[in-house]
Amino acid sequence: MKNNYRCCNLVVLIPLLCSFFILGRMNAAPYLLMSSSEILKFESFFQQQISGTVRDQNGVPIPGVNVIVQGSSNGTMTNLDGEYTIVASVGDTLVFSYIGFKEFKVQVNDTFTGEVTLESSVDALEEVVINAGYYNTTQRERTGNIVKVSAAEIEIQPLTSPLLSLQGRMPGVELSQAGGVVGQAPTIRIRGRNSLRMQGDYPLIILDGVPLDASPINSVGEFGRSSGMDPLSTLNLTNIESIEILKDADATAIYGSRGANGVVLITTKRNIQTKVETAVQARIYIGVSQVSHKMDLMNTREYLSIRRQAFENDGVTPSETNAPELLLWDQNKDTDWQEVFMGHSSPITDINLSLSESNENTSFLIGGSYHTEGSVFPGDFNYQKATANLNLNHSSNDKKFKLQFTSNYGTDQNHLFSGTNFVNYARRLPPNAPAIYTEDGSLNWEGWTISDNPLAVLNQPVEIETNNLIANLQLNYEVLEGLSLRANFGYTHMTSQEVTRNLQESFNPDDWDWIELNSFHSDTKRNSWIIEPQVDFSKDFGQLELNMLGGATFQENTTTNLFLEGIGYSDDNLVGNLNAAEEIRVSTDRKITYRYAALFGRLGINWYKKYFLNLTGRRDGSSRFGPNRRFSEFWAVGGAWIFSEELFLSKLPFLSFGKLRASYGTTGSDQIPDYGFLDTYEVTAGPGGLFPTSPFNPNYSWEINKKLEAALQLGFLEDKINLEVAWYRNRSSNQLTGYPLPAMTGFTSVQANLPATIENKGWEFIVSIAPIQNKKFYWQTSVNFTVPENKLVKFENLEMSSYRQTYKIGEPLNIAMLYKFDGIDPETGRYRILDANGDGRYDFEDRIITQPLGRQYYGGIHNNFRCGNFNLEFLVQYIRQDGYSISQITTPPGLYGNTTRDVLNAWQQQGDPEDIQKLSQSVYSLLSYNEAMNSDLVVQDNSFLRLKTLSVGYRFPTGFLDHLGVRELNLFAHAQNLFTLTDYKGLDPETGNNIPPLRTFTAGLQLNL
Amino acid sequence: MKNYSIYLVMWIGLFFSSCEEFVEVSIPDDRITSETVFNSEVTANSAVQGIYNQLFSLAFSSGRQNSVTVLSGLSADNLEATVTTESLVEFEQNEIFVGNSSNLSLWSSAYNVIYMANAVLEGLENSSDNISNASRAQLRGEALFIRSFSYFYLVNLYGAVPLVLTTAYSSNADLERTNRNEVYEHMIIDLNEAADLLEEEYQNEERLRANRFAVLSLLARVYLYTENWEMAEQISTRVIEAPVYRLNSNLNDVFLSNNEEAIWQISPLNGGSTRSNTNEGDYFIMLSNRANVALTQDLLDIFKPTDSRLSQWIGSFSSNETTYYFPYKYKIKNAVGEASEYSTVLRLAEQYLIRSEARAHQNRISQAIADLNRIRQRANLGAIQETELDGGQMQLLDSIKLERRRELFTEWGHRWLDLKRWELASQLLSDKKEAWQPGDVLYPIPEEEIRKNYNLTQNDGY
Repeated sequence: MKNNYRCCNLVVLIPLLCSFFILGRMNAAPYLLMSSSEILKFESFFQQQISGTVRDQNGVPIPGVNVIVQGSSNGTMTNLDGEYTIVASVGDTLVFSYIGFKEFKVQVNDTFTGEVTLESSVDALEEVVINAGYYNTTQRERTGNIVKVSAAEIEIQPLTSPLLSLQGRMPGVELSQAGGVVGQAPTIRIRGRNSLRMQGDYPLIILDGVPLDASPINSVGEFGRSSGMDPLSTLNLTNIESIEILKDADATAIYGSRGANGVVLITTKRNIQTKVETAVQARIYIGVSQVSHKMDLMNTREYLSIRRQAFENDGVTPSETNAPELLLWDQNKDTDWQEVFMGHSSPITDINLSLSESNENTSFLIGGSYHTEGSVFPGDFNYQKATANLNLNHSSNDKKFKLQFTSNYGTDQNHLFSGTNFVNYARRLPPNAPAIYTEDGSLNWEGWTISDNPLAVLNQPVEIETNNLIANLQLNYEVLEGLSLRANFGYTHMTSQEVTRNLQESFNPDDWDWIELNSFHSDTKRNSWIIEPQVDFSKDFGQLELNMLGGATFQENTTTNLFLEGIGYSDDNLVGNLNAAEEIRVSTDRKITYRYAALFGRLGINWYKKYFLNLTGRRDGSSRFGPNRRFSEFWAVGGAWIFSEELFLSKLPFLSFGKLRASYGTTGSDQIPDYGFLDTYEVTAGPGGLFPTSPFNPNYSWEINKKLEAALQLGFLEDKINLEVAWYRNRSSNQLTGYPLPAMTGFTSVQANLPATIENKGWEFIVSIAPIQNKKFYWQTSVNFTVPENKLVKFENLEMSSYRQTYKIGEPLNIAMLYKFDGIDPETGRYRILDANGDGRYDFEDRIITQPLGRQYYGGIHNNFRCGNFNLEFLVQYIRQDGYSISQITTPPGLYGNTTRDVLNAWQQQGDPEDIQKLSQSVYSLLSYNEAMNSDLVVQDNSFLRLKTLSVGYRFPTGFLDHLGVRELNLFAHAQNLFTLTDYKGLDPETGNNIPPLRTFTAGLQLNL
Repeated sequence: MKNYSIYLVMWIGLFFSSCEEFVEVSIPDDRITSETVFNSEVTANSAVQGIYNQLFSLAFSSGRQNSVTVLSGLSADNLEATVTTESLVEFEQNEIFVGNSSNLSLWSSAYNVIYMANAVLEGLENSSDNISNASRAQLRGEALFIRSFSYFYLVNLYGAVPLVLTTAYSSNADLERTNRNEVYEHMIIDLNEAADLLEEEYQNEERLRANRFAVLSLLARVYLYTENWEMAEQISTRVIEAPVYRLNSNLNDVFLSNNEEAIWQISPLNGGSTRSNTNEGDYFIMLSNRANVALTQDLLDIFKPTDSRLSQWIGSFSSNETTYYFPYKYKIKNAVGEASEYSTVLRLAEQYLIRSEARAHQNRISQAIADLNRIRQRANLGAIQETELDGGQMQLLDSIKLERRRELFTEWGHRWLDLKRWELASQLLSDKKEAWQPGDVLYPIPEEEIRKNYNLTQNDGY
């Protein structure tokens, strides 16, 4: 082991030394200037040879421009120096066209010199530079599937999670929010689930070249327990320049084992100006959030009548034990608990400042932000975030050496509380439950017999503080023209500390004599470094252009977790100070090291800028596998043909761009727990003991995801209409999973490769139309639409495996196997389900309904209007999906606990609707209810259409601003989650049983000096 | 250019040599490999201590909500639920849903113990010579004992169960159920071996690690359950005659740590918490709130007013004009520091009752009465005279049955297991439980287990 560190040090040192060496030499290199300007004259006779140069507005020659004589098949293309020669007659019209530039037409006459200047067209495909990770490409030339969302769409949204800003904006990307509590980790799935295990579907997230650990941070508090906390919440949304998502094999194979679930590239803002300039930008908004939807619950009169009826139906007399709300509690009190628990308004403030300065060789951007939010809960809870960022660029005088340093630091503090079932209380607490507070403002404990005072949990404050530093240094030296050496160094350091304090007030005063005040502490540290030396070579052989890239990656991640409990504090004030605890108990103290090494390469070829071929490959090694299984290779090939460049098509007046592309390749996944291949013991909580923590399997190996894609990109009417249609099919095999074991083996799962194949295929559409584009009025609309299909295509011996009741061949992964609902038994009034095989018992054999639960299709429509200085923008999100109806999570009809008004129409006699069984409080009703909740009765259409964002803006006219010495001043107002149309009767079809997404209104201004 | 090429070549060369080693990571400091564990006496001993530690927290043996003590107490006629928690009510009313989560915990935790025991047995087989033969014998004996202990409850709660004897999860994952008798036979073989391997003395002066008598106590119970009266009598006699055990004269001492009556106990400190009260104490005792379960009137009715167990082992609590009675065998609900009470698994009183029953079945009435009277007299009940028994053996057996219920209530599901063993469950419980069906004598195999193992069959009636 020692030896290996030494080697790795060497590997680190060498690129560093190289860089210094290069730094020392670079000033000596000569300054090269290319000059060539030659004007060719043409003689005037009917059929003549015309020669000239095509340049852009800056006078730079453009190679590859199509030059044709209109109405004939006569055409040519400019060479590398932008020169062309064509035979034409006086009176003919020459058409010059090139992507990224406006088409230019000229009639051949005596004064025409052959010299042509093309104007670049705004919003042209060529202009959109796309970050493909290790290299850049353009919208026009890319061979892979990469979608991009840029700053304007991200920064307007009052969110803390950068990923959530992508909701509804991209095809093939499923993003869902865990709930309306700030800081909860969202779920992101790129082109569906590729893995049988739930934890194996995270994409690779890379911020400015540094991979981040995308897995949620463990949280003990209630709101973060199931989803985890978002590790990206400390990023500043306003500082993000763009987010790119890489989907197909061509784009992701260069990330090898980590690309199976797609790659998210986040690029922060940088200052790449080379003229002497200073700029200051301030951006401020304030606003307010509220829970976007509440349920329609029964009031006291209705609820009590339901309960009385239930007892009457059963012939049982209510007792103080089973019906306190009928016998002990105020019969007239009527509280809207949803309002009490989550009806508050949460203020938002966001301030951003940045300064950028540049001269010829050096430029920097430095910025900071502050963001604060309240909460929708009672009590004083809030979220605060502060960030600082620096981007520094430097190049030598000869532009051969370039350096770029980027660092992002963020810290956030999330003050919440830990209540179990807080949302449940809001929904289920009888409306006549006793008062929460006494007259003197302290918590009321009188009369709370069935449960403790639900607001006592507010005295279990949770504080989560996260600090996150991400730094990246890129060095680039151009050794020769076309040959560059590059090194990328990254470092991340994240700490998250969570303290939950159980204060005295959170306990029933009756228990105060013996209760022990305690605190839970959870510390997570994640450190990583990455070094990626690279060689980049590009060469132009006239019509043939070559781009080559080779590199290596060394990466190490260490994660430490420490969970402590402090018990026995003497006073509320001391709770949380471990020094004051009588006892400290360590429940977890763990350090995990993950190492990863790889070699990667890319070869990009294009011929006439018409035919593109892109080959990528990677050899990966990961410490998560046993000794003989660590390495694996991944590769991809992608190609594109810009057919609109072909002469025979350039005559079509409506078609401005046309491209066909396809790719095929493999990626992998190593998203499994570390050390799983080792047979190990851990210490028991009790003293002096060891116990085997999990069964081990030394033989598992990489999961392979084979991706195939074909796509068509079209531009019509000078790219006023753009269309991209992509079809993909990803097959993920050799499934690596926590294979469920029956508990009789001692454990419930073991890490193993399964002979199973999961297929994700689908269609993705992007249409963007800009029907009106003039100085006064501009309208652009873009629609994205995805039809995904997820299917388990192969699973050897599924019938014999422990997955046989979870998955089905030919069906999606996300399915429910359900009983067939059989109406209501007229005798008992209780739900009945079908005993399909008639054997007198209800078991798996009777679950004959297979119900897919995932998204069937989804999309978004984004519109942008600009009229003069006004601007209006909105995004509508639509998701078609089936899911569980609200009855799955509410109270069985007639039992203790409030529920929706629907229960007022419970079954009474034959002929009544059969969706709600007869009111009853007996255990038999509960059993039949439980069974029916596993039947097709509870599946419904949970589709929804949501106005995700709506914003208006006003840009002050420049004339006015010049007086003030202000470069730009914009005002804007924004609304998030304004309304949702759905049949779902619960809180929200996206977040289900959690706090629904918040409806937020903000207004602010942006000032550029 | 040449310079760079040299660097480049060096670079790539280094990469290949270091790559393989680079991705090798050392074992984290919070775990050790099982090879290392069984390479030394100290760590091998820790692996066994680990099982005892886990017994305190694992559901079936914890004494908390999902334990045999509580769930089987509810299934029989000793406990009732005071709350509407579904998983408890289902056990109370003998209407257990196949997906009942408590039932799954019960099953899973027992098998987790079996895995740990199997891992120790296999580890010792492959261990190095660093472990002395004496230690090896001791550790093996304990592992065999604990494995049998888990099987005893599995076979009694579920009937035929898969007999898992190795850690090979892939071959164990589709095991079929082994019939009850075979499981018992296996337990008898293991327990006999364990009794030979273990010393009579306890380790560390505490009654927390199994010794020979702990093994024999369980073996005596196994013989009783398999109706091998002679052996049950013979083995229990060995325990009763051991000089280290004596019935406590004071009922309040029976559950104290390392008391003279205790044969095997589980220390609350094994949970790793600073709390030193037993789970039973915490779960049953009602101080400011009612607990989730309380004693049934049916149980209270069988105590004579003079029975000192009524006053010393049963507590009461009033809330909203309702009075609840709770098991008060353990006196401490909450404590930090030294543990004065241990959760008691095996104790001498049970051995007397085993021998009494075994002797009664062999028609050795007076000897049986003598054993029974030891228990009665301690509880301040008068001694039974042989002359009082008009009904002879049958009446004596009835007295023993009654005494077992009074003595062993809310301990380790004794009442439920007894009712089933005596085939009285249907007869007695059908009157007390509205929904009783004959199939309810066995709990359902958890639905999830059947889902994962296609060879498992469900018990009748579910």
